[in-house]
Amino acid sequence: MKLTFMLNGSPVSVETPPDRRLVDLLREDLGLTGTKEGCGTGECGACTIRADGETKLACLMLAAQAQGRDIVTIEGLSPVAGPLHPVQESFVNSGAVQCGFCTPGMVMSIATHLDAHPDTDGDGIRQAVSGNLCRCTGYQKIVDAGLTAAGLMKNKGGCRG
Amino acid sequence: MASTDSMTQHKFERLKMNISSPPEIGISTPRSDAFTKVRGVEKFTIDLPSKDDLWAGVKRAGIPHARLIRVHTDQASALAGVAAVLTHKDIQGSNRQGVVRQDQPVLVDDCIRHCGDAVALVVAEDKTTLARALDLIRFEAEPLPGIFSVGDALAKEAPLIHPDHDTGNILLAGTLTTGEGVEGFNDCDCEASLSLEVPVQEHVCLETECGRALFEKDKLTITASTQTPFRDRHEIAQALGLSPEKIRVIAPFLGGGFGGKDGITVQSLLGLAALACPGRPVSMVWNREESFLASPKRHGATLFFRLGAKADGTFHALEAKADFDTGPYDHLGGVVLALGLEHAGGPYAIAHTQVSGRAVYTNNPVAGAFRGFGVPQVAAAMEQVVDLMAAKLTMSPVAIRLKNCLARGMKAPTGNTLAHSTGIRACLEAVGHHPLWQGAREWTARAPAHTLRGVGMACAMHGMGYGPVVPDVAHAKLELTREGRFKVYCGVSDMGQGNGATFLHIAGDLLNQQADGLELILPDTDQTLPCGSSSASRSTFTFAHALADASACLSQRIIKRAADSLMVLDPEEFVLVPGKLRHLSSGKDYPLAFLAGLMSPSERTVVSRYRAPVARDAVTDEKALQMHGIPHTIFSYTAHLARVAVDTITGGIRVDRYLAATDCGRLINPDLYEQQMHGAIAQGLGYALYEDYLTKKGQSLTPDLSTYIIPGARDLPPMELISVTTREQAGPFGMKGVGEVGIDAPLACIANAVADACGKRPGQWPLTRIRMLDLLGETL
Amino acid sequence: MAEVLFPTCLDDARNLLVCSDAPALLAGGTDLLVQMRQKRIQPRTLISLDRVEGMQEIGQTDQHIFIRCGVPLARVMDHPSIRAHAPVLARAIADLGSPQIRNMGTLGGNIMTASPAGDTLPPLYVLDASVDLAGPEGFRRLPLAKFITGPGQTALASGEILWQVTFNKPDPGAWHWFEKVGQRRALSIAMVSLAAMFSLDSHNKLSRIRLAWGSVGPTIVQSRETQDFLCGRPLEPEVLEKACDLARAAVSPISDIRATKAYRRDVAGRLLMRLDQAVQGEN
Repeated sequence: MKLTFMLNGSPVSVETPPDRRLVDLLREDLGLTGTKEGCGTGECGACTIRADGETKLACLMLAAQAQGRDIVTIEGLSPVAGPLHPVQESFVNSGAVQCGFCTPGMVMSIATHLDAHPDTDGDGIRQAVSGNLCRCTGYQKIVDAGLTAAGLMKNKGGCRG
Repeated sequence: MASTDSMTQHKFERLKMNISSPPEIGISTPRSDAFTKVRGVEKFTIDLPSKDDLWAGVKRAGIPHARLIRVHTDQASALAGVAAVLTHKDIQGSNRQGVVRQDQPVLVDDCIRHCGDAVALVVAEDKTTLARALDLIRFEAEPLPGIFSVGDALAKEAPLIHPDHDTGNILLAGTLTTGEGVEGFNDCDCEASLSLEVPVQEHVCLETECGRALFEKDKLTITASTQTPFRDRHEIAQALGLSPEKIRVIAPFLGGGFGGKDGITVQSLLGLAALACPGRPVSMVWNREESFLASPKRHGATLFFRLGAKADGTFHALEAKADFDTGPYDHLGGVVLALGLEHAGGPYAIAHTQVSGRAVYTNNPVAGAFRGFGVPQVAAAMEQVVDLMAAKLTMSPVAIRLKNCLARGMKAPTGNTLAHSTGIRACLEAVGHHPLWQGAREWTARAPAHTLRGVGMACAMHGMGYGPVVPDVAHAKLELTREGRFKVYCGVSDMGQGNGATFLHIAGDLLNQQADGLELILPDTDQTLPCGSSSASRSTFTFAHALADASACLSQRIIKRAADSLMVLDPEEFVLVPGKLRHLSSGKDYPLAFLAGLMSPSERTVVSRYRAPVARDAVTDEKALQMHGIPHTIFSYTAHLARVAVDTITGGIRVDRYLAATDCGRLINPDLYEQQMHGAIAQGLGYALYEDYLTKKGQSLTPDLSTYIIPGARDLPPMELISVTTREQAGPFGMKGVGEVGIDAPLACIANAVADACGKRPGQWPLTRIRMLDLLGETL
Repeated sequence: MAEVLFPTCLDDARNLLVCSDAPALLAGGTDLLVQMRQKRIQPRTLISLDRVEGMQEIGQTDQHIFIRCGVPLARVMDHPSIRAHAPVLARAIADLGSPQIRNMGTLGGNIMTASPAGDTLPPLYVLDASVDLAGPEGFRRLPLAKFITGPGQTALASGEILWQVTFNKPDPGAWHWFEKVGQRRALSIAMVSLAAMFSLDSHNKLSRIRLAWGSVGPTIVQSRETQDFLCGRPLEPEVLEKACDLARAAVSPISDIRATKAYRRDVAGRLLMRLDQAVQGEN
C-alpha cells in the first residue's frame, strides 16, 4: 500500500506492505536507525517516537497507522547540522548517556513531556520515562537531564521541536 | 511528595570543562560519544544490516537434555529464498568454543544440553523466509534425564552432562583455607550464621546480541556487539577451522554488555553462515525472546556462611560454602567461582577461614559472566552475617565493620597482602557520619500507617583484572594523522561504560588537544591492537597506562622532530597547544599538520604495551583453583546505605534513599564514575528486589520482559554518591576500576535494612512482595 | 501478509467484519500486535477502528458519561468529565502500562482483551458500566459484568463491534479509591487490584459501597457480602479488618508466574485496610 505522512517535518511517500511494523519501516526502509527495537512487545520504550505530538511505540504500530500523521523520530528532534534540542543538550552535559541505546526513546519521552509540563519535577520526569527501560544509568542522570532541560526551555521561553 | 532528586542540584553548579578547551583529567567533561548517541545517529551493530543482507537464524533445541540423532533440513532447504541450512556436519573446525574449557558447540553434534542449544542454522534472503524455514526444521533426539539443580547433579547415578570431564558434573570445586580454618571457631565467643539462595539474573542489554559477517577474498569479517573482539577471533578460528589471520572482528559501541557479551554469542554462527554464502553479507539479530533463551546468566547460588568472633567484636573465624549452578557449559563458570571464593570473606581481617565452593554443571540455562562475577553472591551472605554478629554483640553495623576492616599492608581473608590502596575505612566512615545513618532512628520512628521503615548498610571489595594467570595487557596505538589530529586506536570494547570517551579525555589532557583534534578508532582487529576484554573492571586501567605512555612518546617525537627541523637546540622550548606546536621563546605556532608532513607514517605512530601488576602471593595449592586466576592485587571498595519502607499491606518495598561511598582511587572523569556507580547499584537493586530468571525443568518461566522484571524509573531511589579518593599508585592518574564494585553490596544492604525494619531475613531472593509478606508472617 | 483496512464509518466497519477473511479488529494495537507476535492469533485482515467516525468521542449528559471504544486511555484519563465524575477510572489508567501505552491503547481494547488483570475493569465494575455493542442487526446493551464472561472471553457475538462504554454519573459526594499491586510501578500486570467507590452519611458511616477486585478470579470479582457488611458501618480499621476476611472468602485466585494464590487472596483482603486513606485526601 502507498503511505503518505509527515516525517520529521517533511512529507514522505512510501510503498510498503500494510502490516509492516512502523519500526521496521523507519529503520529498514527509511534508514532512520535512531529509533531502536529492544523487545518488540512495548515493554522497553526504545522505539518511542512522536505521532501527532504524542509519544507512541513504533514496534506496536503498523506502518499503515502512520498514514496522514505527523511523525517525529529522534533524528527530527533537532536540525541535522544544527543545535541540539535542550533535552539532547542536557543529556550530554548531565552525563545521562552511557551505552546510548535507550537514549533516543528517553529523549523523545522527556521532550514531549516538557512541552506539556514545563513546570515538571523529578517525579514528573520519572513518570514521563516510566515506559522507557534503561539498564546502564539507574535513571538518576536521566532525571537530572530532564530537570536541567526544563530549566533551559523555560529560559528560552517556550516549546521546541 | 517533594522531589528528592533536587538533592542533586549541586551537580548543576559543578564545574565542567567547556568542550572547546582541552579536557583536564579529574574534571568532568561531556562524553565524546554522547553527541551522536543523543541524535540517534551513532550506529550500533544492530543498526548495520542493509537491504541486501542475507539473514541468519538459529533453530534452538527447546528441550533441556537429549542425545541428538538427526536433523531434518530438507524441507527448509527447499523453501524458495533459503540460501543455506547448516548443521554440525558443515563445521570444519572443532565445533567447540569456550574461554577456559572449550565445551560448548557452535551447532550441537552429540547432545543437547540446554533449551537454548543451537541445533541448526538457516540463512535466507529475508526475515520472513528465515522464520518460515526455521519452522520447517525438525530434529530427532533421544531425551535424556534432565539435571535441574546442584543436588540433582551431584546425586549418585546422576547422568554426566560431560562424560569426558574428569570431575563429573562438577566443573570446578575448591577450598581456600587460612590459619586453622574451621578450628578457629574453637576460640570464638560468638557465632552467627546464615543460609540463603540468590537468583539467576539476566543482563537485559537493551541492544540484544547481533552481528554482521562477510566472507570475501579469503577473509572473514565479522562486526558484532561483543566485549571481546580479539579473543573472539581465536575462538571462531578454532571452532570453524580457520586461521585467525583470516578473521577480522569489529566492535562498534555496544548497547550494553555487562558480561552477557563477554565471549561468543553470534560470532561463530555468523562466521559459519558467511562461509556458506561467500560474497554476501549475512546479518543476525537475536530478538528479545531468543536473547533470554540463549544468552548466559548470572549464576544462581546456594550459600552457607558462619562467622565467629571474639566478645569485643573481632572477627576470628569464617566458614563459607557456596554452590553455583553453572548450566551446561564452562562459560567462565570456574573463574566466577574462584573470584567468589576469593571475595567470600569481604573486606575484613579474619585469621581463620575455610571457604569452599563448587560450580556444578546442570541442564539449566548457561551461567557465565555478569558484572560482579561471583562477588554479589558471596557478599549477599557475608554482609548479612556481619550484621547478625553486630546484633548479637550489640554493636552498630558500622562499628563492627570499622573494627575489622582491612587497611593497606594487612592480609585479605584469603591471606594475600593488600599492597595497594585500601580505602574501605574511609568508605565506612563516610557512611557512618552521614545524616542518613545518623538520623536513621528518627526516620524509622516516623513510619506512617501500614509501613515499617528500616535503614541498613553493607560494604564490599572487588578485585580488578584477571589475576595472576592470564596476562592483563593492553596495547595502545596512537597516531598523529597527516591532518594534524591525534587518533587513538582502542582495541577494548566500549559497552557503554565510556572507556572510549575516557581515552580521548586522557589523550586530550596529555596532548593538550580539544575534542576536534582527537579521534577514536573503536576495536577492529585489523586496525587496533589487542587490549584484553571489556570486563573485570580493568578496561580503563590497562589501556590508560598504555595510552599515557604512548602519548608521552609521541609528543616527544613531535617536539624533537620540530626542534631538529627548526634548528632549535632545546626541545623543551616547545609545547603542544590545541592543533599546534608552540615555540615558547619566539611565540611562533606550527600547525600539527605541518609537523605531520615532516614525519613519515611510521614516525607518526606509536605503540605502547602495558601489563597490569599481579599478586605474588599464593593462596592455594589447589592447582585447578589457582589456574582460575586468584588472588587479585588491586581492589576497589564501597560502603552502602539504604533506607527502605516496607508496606505491610502488600509487602512492597520502596527504597527511599540510597547512598554509596566508594574508593576507586582518583577519578579521571567524575561523571563517568557516577555513571558506573548508579548503574551498578541499579542492577544490584534489581537483583535484590525484582529480578528472578525462573525455570522449571530447564524451561524458562520468564522468557520476556513482561515476566522478567527489571526496575524502571519509578522503582529506583535517588542515589547519593561519595567518592573516597585514595590515590592508587599503580593506577593511571591514581585510578582503579569501578565497573563492578557497586553491584556487590545492594542485596545485603537491602537485607540489612529490611531486617532493621522487621527483624527478619528471607532465605530466598529476590525479595518480592510475596516473600516480604511471608516474612512478615501475615500471609495465609 | 495481512491486509489493513481503514473504514470511516461504523457501518463499513461492521460490513468488513462480516465479509473479511480471518479478520481482527485493530484499535490501539498494544494487545493485538503482541498476540500476533506470539502467534496466538493470526488474522489475515486487520480492520482498524482508528478512523471510524464517532469512535473517538467521549462526553457526558446530565445523567451519564459515555466513552467510545476508540478513545485512547490517556485521553480518558485526562478528560474533564472523567476527572470530575469518575476519578476511580482515571486513577486506574494512571497505573496502566506507560505513557506511550496509554497514548495508544484504548478503553475498548482493554475491555475486549478482558483480562482478569485489566486495569480499567475494576473501576468500570464499581461504576456499574454497561457496554453498547454494534452488530449487523443494530445495537444492544449489556452490563459490563455480563459482557465479560471469562478470562479473555466476552459475550461479543459474531459480527459485533464494541461501540461504547456508558455509566451513570456517581453521587458527587462519593469517595473513589483504586490500588493496583504490581511487580513494579509501571509496565506491570496487576497481581491484585482493588477499585472502590463509597459514600459516607452524616454520621460518617458507609452509606453505599461498591468494590471490585482484579486478578483474583477468572473475571473481575465483586462481593455483595463484603459490601453489605460494610454498609452502615464506620470506616474504621476494626471494621475493615473484618471486611478483609469476607473479601478473602469472595475471591478465587490462581497461582501464576506473577503471584501465588495465597498472596492474591490475602492481599485482596488487606487492600481494604487502606480505604480510609481515600477520605484523608491521599487519593
